Amino acid sequence: MINTLLSLNEATRTVNSGSNKVTLLNNINLDVKEGEFISLMGPSGSGKSTLLNCIGMLDSFTDGGYTFLGEPVHSMKEKNRSKLYKEYIGFVFQAYHLIDELNVYENIETPLLYKNVKSSERKAMVADMLDRFNIVGKKDLFPVQLSGGQQQLVGVARALIGKPKLILADEPTGNLNSKQSEEIMELFAELNKEGVTIIQATHSEKNASYGSRVINLLDGKIVSE
Amino acid sequence: MFKNYIKIALRNLWKNRTFTALNVVGLTAAFGVAILLAMYAVFQLSFDGFHDNGDSIYQVYSEDSTPYGLEANISKSEPFAAALRDEVSGVEKITRYNNSSVLLTNKDKQLGMGVAYVDPDFFEMFSFPIINGDKENPITSESSVAMTEMASKRMFGDENPIGQTITILRDGEEVPFTVSAIVKDFPITSSIGFDVVLNFKSQNQHAYERTIGRWDMENHEVYMQLSKNVEVYQFEKSTVDFTALHHKSEIDNAKRDGIQPNAEGNYKQIKLLEFGDIRFANFNQGAVTVNRTMPYLILGIAILILFIACVNFINMSVAKSSQRLREIGMRKTLGANKKQLFFQFWGESVLVFLISISLGIVLAVFLKPSFQKLFSTKASLSVLLSPSLLLVIILSVVVITLIAGGYPAMLMSRLGTLQSLKGKLDSNGKNYLRNSLMVVQFSIAILLISGTLVLWDQVEFMRTKDLGFNKNQVIAFPLNGKRNDQQAIELLRNNLSDKTHIISVTASNNILGLGKDGSRSTSVLGFEHKGRGVETHMVVVDADYIETLDLNIIEGRSFRKNLATDSLSVIINESMAKQLSEEDILTSKIELDEGSYNVVGVIKDFNFQELDQNIAPMTLFALPNWNLRNAYVKVAPQNLEQAYSDVKAVWNIIEPNAEFQGSFLNENIDRTLRSERTMITMIGSGSVLAIILSCIGLFAMSLLIVAQRRKEIGVRKIVGASVSAITVLLTKDFLKLVVIAFLIATPIAWWAMSKWLQNYAYRIDLNIWVFLAAGGIAVLIAMMTIAVKTIKAATSNPVESLRTE
Repeated sequence: MINTLLSLNEATRTVNSGSNKVTLLNNINLDVKEGEFISLMGPSGSGKSTLLNCIGMLDSFTDGGYTFLGEPVHSMKEKNRSKLYKEYIGFVFQAYHLIDELNVYENIETPLLYKNVKSSERKAMVADMLDRFNIVGKKDLFPVQLSGGQQQLVGVARALIGKPKLILADEPTGNLNSKQSEEIMELFAELNKEGVTIIQATHSEKNASYGSRVINLLDGKIVSE
Repeated sequence: MFKNYIKIALRNLWKNRTFTALNVVGLTAAFGVAILLAMYAVFQLSFDGFHDNGDSIYQVYSEDSTPYGLEANISKSEPFAAALRDEVSGVEKITRYNNSSVLLTNKDKQLGMGVAYVDPDFFEMFSFPIINGDKENPITSESSVAMTEMASKRMFGDENPIGQTITILRDGEEVPFTVSAIVKDFPITSSIGFDVVLNFKSQNQHAYERTIGRWDMENHEVYMQLSKNVEVYQFEKSTVDFTALHHKSEIDNAKRDGIQPNAEGNYKQIKLLEFGDIRFANFNQGAVTVNRTMPYLILGIAILILFIACVNFINMSVAKSSQRLREIGMRKTLGANKKQLFFQFWGESVLVFLISISLGIVLAVFLKPSFQKLFSTKASLSVLLSPSLLLVIILSVVVITLIAGGYPAMLMSRLGTLQSLKGKLDSNGKNYLRNSLMVVQFSIAILLISGTLVLWDQVEFMRTKDLGFNKNQVIAFPLNGKRNDQQAIELLRNNLSDKTHIISVTASNNILGLGKDGSRSTSVLGFEHKGRGVETHMVVVDADYIETLDLNIIEGRSFRKNLATDSLSVIINESMAKQLSEEDILTSKIELDEGSYNVVGVIKDFNFQELDQNIAPMTLFALPNWNLRNAYVKVAPQNLEQAYSDVKAVWNIIEPNAEFQGSFLNENIDRTLRSERTMITMIGSGSVLAIILSCIGLFAMSLLIVAQRRKEIGVRKIVGASVSAITVLLTKDFLKLVVIAFLIATPIAWWAMSKWLQNYAYRIDLNIWVFLAAGGIAVLIAMMTIAVKTIKAATSNPVESLRTE
């Protein structure tokens, strides 16, 4: 029996833009099982990023229910919510969002600092990750000294360091060339095989083909699966 | 975690080195100067704080009703202290106090020393501990002398001083004294200062014997320790009968002359002034007022300067935070909570503050010698090191960093995750704070600048005012040698008579301005004239006094060359003439106990006192063999320096052991303006620093605003804006702030300065130009500060600025 990781029930997000009420996400119903690799597809403005952010608890639904590992996120306090995503969710961004002032090693280490992991343990974990991604030689470099693909590699490593159950990737290859894209996607596929649940937003059919399930969004609604 | 914070803090500071440098420089200067100013103020405030009984020691003075209103009088008569102790309850201990200087001789060694004449209670009241010798009754005997450690070192070197005999020159005789006790050297923050202490009765004949039992001769101060459980007002109240008894004739005269008594119906009221307040008390203008404005004003300037530097810091940090939005957002997605972010950013601020404070301390230590010299103060940094004060300082530093560093940190840690990840900052409202802070900054700067200008104006006015006597050509010096005054003057006249550039020589018992020796005295004489009481300043002069000082005779004549024939003549000033109000002033007489004096001349009023007082009635006497104290030598205007050294050389021949402390009268006048000059320099340097710091802030802001508006500037240029239009656009907003600051600061400055000018009987009229000048200076400096960046931005190629978007 495969566990349900999260489920959305009539989840909606609206914002006020001037005097207009704009619906960004409209009655989304979605169940994500552990181990799935889901690709969200759809044109710009269809709500892919908003859905990812809401699932990642960076944003919240304005209506409807959101359950993560059996816990009702929609009725949770901010503090518990951040505890939850700190524990189970890792993010990968299109623009990498590495901290410019920190080198590769320190960027990867940062999530552990916020989880209060002990120093010796941190060292071991970061070393493992560097090893696994073959970037040991680059650990003292700063983000500006890396190519886009390398930066995204660090971004993925940083997302993985906290051993999350779910990785949310918002156009992870959007700024990369095709070769770099392929590498990152293969990495995702591999991670998925190891049991990590992945939800990615993407424009590319090719990237979507790495996943196990494709969800098409249009104007904030799921149009097909 | 902590290490990570430090690391990123250092990297960030380095990345923004321009801003870090601007902040560190500003804060360092502010902290350094604030430390020095605080040191000065605390030093002033800590005066006389070392006496264990300080809280219960008071100076006894009286408030007398006079035709001119209330007058405070600190001089007391010989029997007063003992009578007060015996007749009024509440006097725990009491001492008379007089100070002077004496010539001490030990074998062939002669030293001039400062002396305090006191009663035996003195050592029990004040904390001047005796470390050697007779601890119980050091000066009870009229032939013993107590010396400070320092004086004893000077006199005896390493010899044991106790029991040694020295002689003191008194009334022309060498009187032997035995050293009975050594007094521990006292802190420099003591307003009572002496090298040796003698019994009050050991004074010379003129100061003591002559006055025994006389209630009408007042020549010394009295300090008393109030018994516990007696309130000051109770004590003052209980002296009414005492005063009525001992000053009966004085009170009767006041009643007869129709003088207004005080609110309680008394004509003379004994009052107590807390010992710690004496240094800040003003006895010259009616009832005694205690005023610590000066040290607090200086502390205030220190705080204002720190405030300006902190505003810079806050403004820069807030403005720079927009460049760290991504980092903030990313940290939040990685699981950082508000508290952690706050501590990270606050930690960076604390780091900057710690660096600045350390550098500020170094700066203060480095500048201390020049500071001490500039303000001729002995204040040292050690005054700030007392535990309680240190606690206050540390607390205030913590509070400053908490506010200045904490506010921007709080803003940053509060930002929404997604918003900051997108790099968007909702900027509504935030500029109000920045703008108002900058307005306050410039208000302070303008306030200080206009304060400096007004102060400077007033001092220049006082310095250059025609005081009614010749101050440029007259050298004055104290007759501080062994010879008696008449003999010394005679020798002086003879020796200088053949020098071509010496015009005349005279002497008098008062000094105009403040001489190099810093001593001053006034005698006021009260007598009855046609059935009413009259008071006049009494100045005893030698021949040629009026001619030497170029005083103008408006009626009658000057003293004759042969002064002996004029010993019963007086010359009065206009104010005195007005007071006597005679039809024919030259036929009037002044009737004193000693004899009847004819008014032979009237001189035009001249400012023989400082300019904070109106010219009082004054009478010149030509009494023979009087204690004259000061010589005046008028010299030709061509070669003042040569004349000065001639006078010095002659004095050194006449009195080889005495130091020549001569100075021109205009220097003496300058000396009386010392506190005003100190204030000018303090407020002046404060205002310079304030404007520099404000401009550092302004410069940083212009850097950031220009960077933020790069795209806007590019677009505007593409649609046809000229360089000047863009410069105006960018400059306008800042200038608006300076103008608002001017409008706020000027009324405050006007009010404060007119209040300050009230202290002077002779003062300038405030005029708007001074304030406009201050505002103009601020605007001009502000414009120059932002011009560099704005013009560069306005002239840059628009394509470049748009390409980066």
